Amino acid sequence: MNNPASSSDPVSLVSPSTAAKTVPEWRQYLRFLWNAFSQSVEGGWKFYVWMTLLTAVFLVGANAWAVQVRDGMALTSMSDHVSWGLYIANFTFLVGLAAGGVMMVIPAYLYHDEQMHDIVIIGELLAIAAIIMSIMFVVCDLGRPDRFWHMIPGLGKFNFPVSMLTWDVIVLNGYLVINLHICGYLLYKRFRGQAPSTKMYVPAVLLSIVWAISIHTVTAFLYCGLGGRPFWNTAMLAPRFLASAFVSGPAFIIVAIQIIRSQTGRMFGEGAIRTLVSIIRITILINLLMVVSEVFVEFYTGGSHTSAAKYLYFGLHGHNELVPWIWTALTFTLVAVVLFMQSNVNRRPVILNVACLLAFVGLWIEKGMGMIIPAFVPSTLHEIVEYRPSLTEWKVTAGIWALGFMIYTLLLKITINVHSRKLRDASGARTIRSEDSLAMSSEE
Amino acid sequence: MNHSETNKPITPCSGNCSCDGGSREKDPWTGNDGSNRRAVLKGLGATLGVAAYAKALAPLTELTQQTSMAEFLQKHYKELTTDEITVVLDRLTRETKEQYGADVTISDPKPIEGVKFGYGLNLSICNGCRKCAEACHLENNHDRPSNQSYIRVFEMTKGSMDFEKGNVHYEHPVPQPDKYYMPVQCQQCEHPPCVDVCPVEATWKEKDGIVVVDYNWCIGCRYCEAACPYHARRFNWQKPEIAAEEINPDQGYLSNRIRPQGVMEKCTFCLHRTRNGRLPACLEACPTGARVFGDLNDPDSEIRWVLENKRVFVLKEELGLKPQFFYFFDE
Amino acid sequence: MNLSLKRHPKLVWIGFAVLATVCSLAVVWAQKNLKASSDPESANVGRTLTVFPVTVKPGPPTPQLDTGLKDGRGTAITAACSTCHTSTTPNVSRNTADDLFQAHRGLSYNHGNLTCLSCHNSKDYDTLHLADGHRVAFPDVMTLCSQCHGTAMRDYLHGSHGGMNGYWDLTRGPRERNNCVNCHDPHYPEFPLVQPVLPPHDRISVPAKH
Repeated sequence: MNNPASSSDPVSLVSPSTAAKTVPEWRQYLRFLWNAFSQSVEGGWKFYVWMTLLTAVFLVGANAWAVQVRDGMALTSMSDHVSWGLYIANFTFLVGLAAGGVMMVIPAYLYHDEQMHDIVIIGELLAIAAIIMSIMFVVCDLGRPDRFWHMIPGLGKFNFPVSMLTWDVIVLNGYLVINLHICGYLLYKRFRGQAPSTKMYVPAVLLSIVWAISIHTVTAFLYCGLGGRPFWNTAMLAPRFLASAFVSGPAFIIVAIQIIRSQTGRMFGEGAIRTLVSIIRITILINLLMVVSEVFVEFYTGGSHTSAAKYLYFGLHGHNELVPWIWTALTFTLVAVVLFMQSNVNRRPVILNVACLLAFVGLWIEKGMGMIIPAFVPSTLHEIVEYRPSLTEWKVTAGIWALGFMIYTLLLKITINVHSRKLRDASGARTIRSEDSLAMSSEE
Repeated sequence: MNHSETNKPITPCSGNCSCDGGSREKDPWTGNDGSNRRAVLKGLGATLGVAAYAKALAPLTELTQQTSMAEFLQKHYKELTTDEITVVLDRLTRETKEQYGADVTISDPKPIEGVKFGYGLNLSICNGCRKCAEACHLENNHDRPSNQSYIRVFEMTKGSMDFEKGNVHYEHPVPQPDKYYMPVQCQQCEHPPCVDVCPVEATWKEKDGIVVVDYNWCIGCRYCEAACPYHARRFNWQKPEIAAEEINPDQGYLSNRIRPQGVMEKCTFCLHRTRNGRLPACLEACPTGARVFGDLNDPDSEIRWVLENKRVFVLKEELGLKPQFFYFFDE
Repeated sequence: MNLSLKRHPKLVWIGFAVLATVCSLAVVWAQKNLKASSDPESANVGRTLTVFPVTVKPGPPTPQLDTGLKDGRGTAITAACSTCHTSTTPNVSRNTADDLFQAHRGLSYNHGNLTCLSCHNSKDYDTLHLADGHRVAFPDVMTLCSQCHGTAMRDYLHGSHGGMNGYWDLTRGPRERNNCVNCHDPHYPEFPLVQPVLPPHDRISVPAKH
């Protein structure tokens, strides 16, 4: 475990009377969390500007949501015809981002890619932030968030296993817990200067691979089991979700790695980026193939069940609100495909980042506005009522994204501090090299 | 932290705290190294942040006007004892008086044993006058400005069953010679997808076939609205607006009491009437007599006669949901 | 065999999976079998099953023609049909009132191929008649309607034509039905065009463009 605090330790949070006793593990963990948090809110002026901006946006969103709860969801542009909108669109995309965030886990742990090992945590932290955001989007979409407790099994009524929404609640919260455990444990061990024990985290990591697939499959099952919505009622929805998740997650991480490099001045993750680009090259093509397949089935067959697809791609009876959205998404994705296929994309950061951004935004549109809204237009009785998100919805959306970025920034800072030994515990035994930094990952 | 004037730390730090060991430069005037200023600024920032957050969320404090602790803690309808239901009904009666200024009676009629409701609609006679929709609007205390109703009447083109050619917004005299009229409301399916998908079991199918919603349990996720293939569900996007003198005071807990903001509702076959043997409001208002209602378990009922003697069909039969709402033509 | 969890970490995960499965199965079983009993009342207990009547609104009274004159007390002076028609010659092929000027001016008539005397009784103008000559009093007009419109009468009697007010369950209350002529003018029986009420004013709605 840990050695007693040495008498040469002048700054110790352990009171003198207990200095000679062993501090319990949970108190050490709490101390780690406290130190991690308080150190992570320190930074240069750019950091403060970034966080202040995000806070401002978050507060605007929080206020918009509070007004929405008080005055009713009539402040949104949703209606009895289009009853799910921007919130659920973002929720869907973010569950995919969370699933794709652990994409790096597979090569690192299953294929023993050492270069990926230390960077896997960037993806797991992304998963944490993305899951928190997706849960917040669901809460903001509820008409009665004050009745949230009705969903707690035992206290309320939990319609498990019939309702897919209950499966989603279980898998999303479980995924959050798994990733919090993995990241918390690994960072804590590094903070203490101890080697992590394999059995405390490797099973969780392997579980998170399967769990990541399940969160997005379950989310797809939410939609594709509904017979009344033919646009969703396709077996291809779950595979399509997974393929697009495994584009957006890696794309975000590629950009995140480069930002961390520029902020910490450390060069790392070259191998990781190469691996991620290889992954994206495959998954973005798979995603495109699935889109083509859907388009063929819809437009070759024709008939009433394809009205939604007609509305999405070409407009229906003069209503064409979504047409610019989907064509923008397709264009972005196609350009991203071309850019990713360049053989020199790894050596040209500008092209790489543009490709990542285009893929990310294109998929956000395609999976969000391009997948949720068309299922409601035309309605189940074939009425056409359109949907354009209201200001309230944009504000809440921006607020939740700002909070997600804030959480991710803080988590990354903690990780960087721990890995650079800036945040470390002096009272524990040092059983690993003190020069354990991210910069060494390429040599390990 | 003790530092001498010589700017050298007296004791080595372990780096266990948030400073970096006292190696910062000291201000020659104040003698401190700026960490106090930093702490003050951070504290100020944090305080401002918390205050701004509280201000941003201030509208939530006004929620107490619309809901109460008793409602927040209320259990699911199926878990309430008879006495608890009485308490709830009293509270709801008081709340209706406070919020809408009307005296109402809210009852909780139970299903009649052995009865299974079915509804028939004669498309040869329906003339599209929408009096059924109006009766529903008045009977069920719907929101006034939106002309809300559980019934939506479609003007369909003769020769086609395609709803895409249907129109709900007609305002010309009816019936038009080349059209027929199809009112659609909740079909009270035998296998309702809305019941399957509700995460909190706020909606369920009762023994007499009516699919009901506990308005005080619904969390407003609108999954049931996404799942329903018949556009039967309505959501309260805002608090319903209805004048006191227009409120129908004869109300049922699971049916036509005034619903709160943020919950789902739907046609209940007027169970506050039908469970007492009365006809639903839409049927009584129909001037042509196109609507038929009764007990499917009674072999002598009108609805059974229709099912046995008319060519009856249901909407979207291929979905396998077994709706209990039957359409028929006379010829 | 040492089953300590430290040595066999996989057991932890297997145990967790088994526990989760058992728990969810238990929840499903509980939800299906442990519902709070909400048996419907046996509403027929203690009730004597009287059957309430179904009443039909009355048919038209025997018509009286308003002569336009008033008697000493200001009451309108009316004449029975037979007052004039005992001195007229029955015209079995008359099927329009457009050219009448002494009486029945402005009467719209559109009832298929029927003539006036298809229904009106030339032997007793204060009554109507069936095809076989049987007399039908005006209040009993539904018998005459159902002579030709048998299918409509069949539907009416079985509740799928003509509507009703009151109770579906006649053991709990009565029911009232319309008379045929409440909705169908015998001379122009086609159900009139009406202006529809309550068009939807959805918060967000785009009227169909066709």
